[in-house]
Amino acid sequence: MSWIKRRWTAVEADRWTKEDYLTFVISPLVYVLLMIGTALSLLLRWYGFLLLGGGVVLLLLMLWIIDPKLKAISESYEVKQKQYLEEIEKIARWEK
Amino acid sequence: MVHFAFLDWFWVIAFIILMTVCGILFYKLGKRSMADFFLAGRGLPWWLPATSVYATHTATDTPIWVSGVVYQYGLRGLWYTFFSAWCAISAFASTRIFRRSLAYTQAEWQTLRFSGLGAELLRGWIAGWQVFMNMFVLGWVGMAMGKLCNYLFGWPQWVALVLFSTICAVYVLAAGYWGVVMSDFQQGVIAFLVIVIVSFWGISVAGGPHGIVSKLGAMGQSWRLNPFAFSGLTGGDFPLVWFLTMLVIAVIGGFGMGTSIDWYPEAQRIQSAKTVRDASYSIWSGTALIVIRNSIWAVAILGFFVLYPNIQETAQYEMAWYRIGFEYLPVGMVGLFFAAIVAIHLSTISAHLNLGASYATRDLYHHYFKPKATEKELVWVGRVSTLILLIGSFIYGSMMKEITQWLIFALWIMAAGIWLPSILQVVWWRFNSWGYLSSWIANLGLSWLVVWVLPEFRLIPDLPDYLQFWIMMVLGALIYLPITFLTKPEDMDRLVKYYVMSRPLGWWKPVRLEAERRGLVVPEAGAAKGGN
Repeated sequence: MSWIKRRWTAVEADRWTKEDYLTFVISPLVYVLLMIGTALSLLLRWYGFLLLGGGVVLLLLMLWIIDPKLKAISESYEVKQKQYLEEIEKIARWEK
Repeated sequence: MVHFAFLDWFWVIAFIILMTVCGILFYKLGKRSMADFFLAGRGLPWWLPATSVYATHTATDTPIWVSGVVYQYGLRGLWYTFFSAWCAISAFASTRIFRRSLAYTQAEWQTLRFSGLGAELLRGWIAGWQVFMNMFVLGWVGMAMGKLCNYLFGWPQWVALVLFSTICAVYVLAAGYWGVVMSDFQQGVIAFLVIVIVSFWGISVAGGPHGIVSKLGAMGQSWRLNPFAFSGLTGGDFPLVWFLTMLVIAVIGGFGMGTSIDWYPEAQRIQSAKTVRDASYSIWSGTALIVIRNSIWAVAILGFFVLYPNIQETAQYEMAWYRIGFEYLPVGMVGLFFAAIVAIHLSTISAHLNLGASYATRDLYHHYFKPKATEKELVWVGRVSTLILLIGSFIYGSMMKEITQWLIFALWIMAAGIWLPSILQVVWWRFNSWGYLSSWIANLGLSWLVVWVLPEFRLIPDLPDYLQFWIMMVLGALIYLPITFLTKPEDMDRLVKYYVMSRPLGWWKPVRLEAERRGLVVPEAGAAKGGN
């Protein structure tokens, strides 16, 4: 599935890409499937197990898509964080 | 009244000691700095804020609310709880943007995103409003516990309000957010386990899954098993347009900051996570637990309906889940159940005590009164603010009957008219502080008119809530959009700085091009073709 990018540089990961937009679509669907699937599975409805299973599969797919990008964002951002925090402290203390 | 045996009291006292000591143990970490007292030093792995999200949003009044909607609407009632799904998109959109801003609070974020007088007015307003709201939530939830203990033990309502909030304040005062989040972890685990045990017990008492389904069928109530049993397009008690409106509010709201009242506690958890990735996963998984919890509750409430199908009074059937626990669990287990209720209660109280204090300390005292305050002084101001919130919550709690109607109205204002502006401030560079401020003010007037005044004078009919939402959204936009365009855009220096820090989503092209021109951002390949 080369359509989904799995190796990110820090600069590339900073941008909003199709991996993010796909996650925006899949994520609410996972919540819906987990919610309805759990309730109907507890009532031992066969379609409840199907929905719950679908939710789990979509969750794994979502993580597969977005996790490499989130890792890249986090790693590059940690380097800049200290400098940003100093900026914010200056604003809070009216130093500029 | 419920009778407690020795073993029941043992569970309750043991859990209270465990929860309090667990919080106090982190005293030394909490007192190191303001960042530790309110954000645990921004160093938490995702699963700690995640359990805190779950525990905070599992309060004593939550099963009452879920019981009410599921008893009334069957599994359709789950959609009334689905507003928490704003985290589905937020976890990967506004959470990422907010975590990168490094703002302590949402009020502080306003001064990073906007500039000048408008930004300061917004920061002051949101900080003051959040101090008030947290005090209100503390009083509200405290009184829910008061009513429960009155039902269980016959105590006057103020006793449980004061007793449990004071116990909770001990570890919040000592260890701040470290105490909150560490206690939330064990409280969340206890609460989830007991919710599963009690709900499964209720399902079993009602005849098990097959028994519930067959009894509902025999009663002609099988529609209760269908989460999509709409009553029509616009009419009836569960119209399709309500469902679609709810989905829009819940799901699209995730692009904004402040589209849900729950954003504010979540914002604190987002900033306490050690990386952007941890922040995203904490919000997503904490809410996933909430969604699953609601489903477990819902099936137990269907079981309760099978046992007691003809309850008409809302106040009676809203107690469904509590009745399952207290009426059907064996002696010894009832105490465990009550200990879990105390855990649920303390996690909510501790979160709001610390959150309200963070706005009072960071945004009001530190930013406006004493910008040069030392870290030690700020931690102490945090403690004093916590104490003031605690005392304030007792006063609110005692006034709750009189003010509840007004404050529910205030919450409705929040949800309806600020929803779109709260998204626009995140996704659109041209939306400025005056536009956002005017949306708050306009909504205050419009909600009075649309919800109360015009229907009262028969100038318009009583409108269903989904229609009120859309009308207020459109009317509000007719005010704040012209104001936005008639006032200047935010200062470009501030916008560029914000863009470089946060990398927001949406329509930011002029700011991005300026950041690229200044050499602060690597130019996008093919930027000339357009894009955001």
